[in-house]
Amino acid sequence: MANERLRALEDVEKEIATVMQCAGNIVLELSKDKHNASLLDRQLVQFQASVNRVENELSGQIRYLTQVATGQPHEGSTYSARKDCQMALNRAEYAKVKLGELGRTCEVMLEQQQQQQQQQP
Amino acid sequence: MATQRGLPQSKESLLQNYNKRLKDDIRSILDNFTEIIKTAKIEDETQVSRATQAEQDHYEMHVRAANIVRAGESLMKLVSDLKQFLILNDFPSVNDAISLQNQQLRSLQDECDKKLTSLRDEIAIDLYELEEEYYSSSYSQWDSTDLPLCEAYRRRDSWASPGSSSCSSTQGDREDAEGPPSQEANPQHHLNGHGTSSIEKP
Repeated sequence: MANERLRALEDVEKEIATVMQCAGNIVLELSKDKHNASLLDRQLVQFQASVNRVENELSGQIRYLTQVATGQPHEGSTYSARKDCQMALNRAEYAKVKLGELGRTCEVMLEQQQQQQQQQP
Repeated sequence: MATQRGLPQSKESLLQNYNKRLKDDIRSILDNFTEIIKTAKIEDETQVSRATQAEQDHYEMHVRAANIVRAGESLMKLVSDLKQFLILNDFPSVNDAISLQNQQLRSLQDECDKKLTSLRDEIAIDLYELEEEYYSSSYSQWDSTDLPLCEAYRRRDSWASPGSSSCSSTQGDREDAEGPPSQEANPQHHLNGHGTSSIEKP
């Protein structure tokens, strides 16, 4: 839900850039000797639609925040779950280290055994 | 639409400020753009010479275009402020994000612990077999007070079912294999044997 609202605000930023670009294209087209009427119409329609969308979206967000905001700081936290998970990962890592040591010990024993067998005639 | 709650003055004034900024910037973009389009219209009758009028129009368009860009940048700043306000004060979404994160972390922890538990069980089985092999061989030197895992399980089984022949035969094999090291234990067995025999004889 939070990501959707933040994504909507990012889309609003793109719309603002579209507004600027449309305004610039219209002025550029008007500066020419021969205007392309269809291009001017399309750019103008897009300009107006983008401005309306920006205004509506930002008004909606401000209205939602007016309903939802309490003025108090949020005191929720994921610290306990994160700590428990970190401890579980530490346990797994410790088990991995110990098993690694056991494996190395077994390999050393096997090598010694093989050497003894090779030395015996 | 829900009625406005009693927000602290700072939050309420902040949101009103956001509204005002939005309205002002949109109004600025539309007005300046409209004026640029109007100024682009070529007029035959001018109060000053055409060159002066053109220079004036050029300067005016420059300023209005700068105003449009400034209003656009102000809108971008407003969007950034709204994002920040949303992250800090949108409690439903913050609660959802926290609960989702907690759920993910707990599932990861459970998976980790489950795998460790299964690993422990597998190693316990292997350890049982290894101890059985080791303590039944001639290399073992175990004290009767310090029971290996397999012997502990066997004695527990024998207590549960004392008539089991397999346990007694295995115990007999162990005693045969461990004669010299268990000399300390033998006097105790003899003592126990004498003790029982003295009781049995009336």
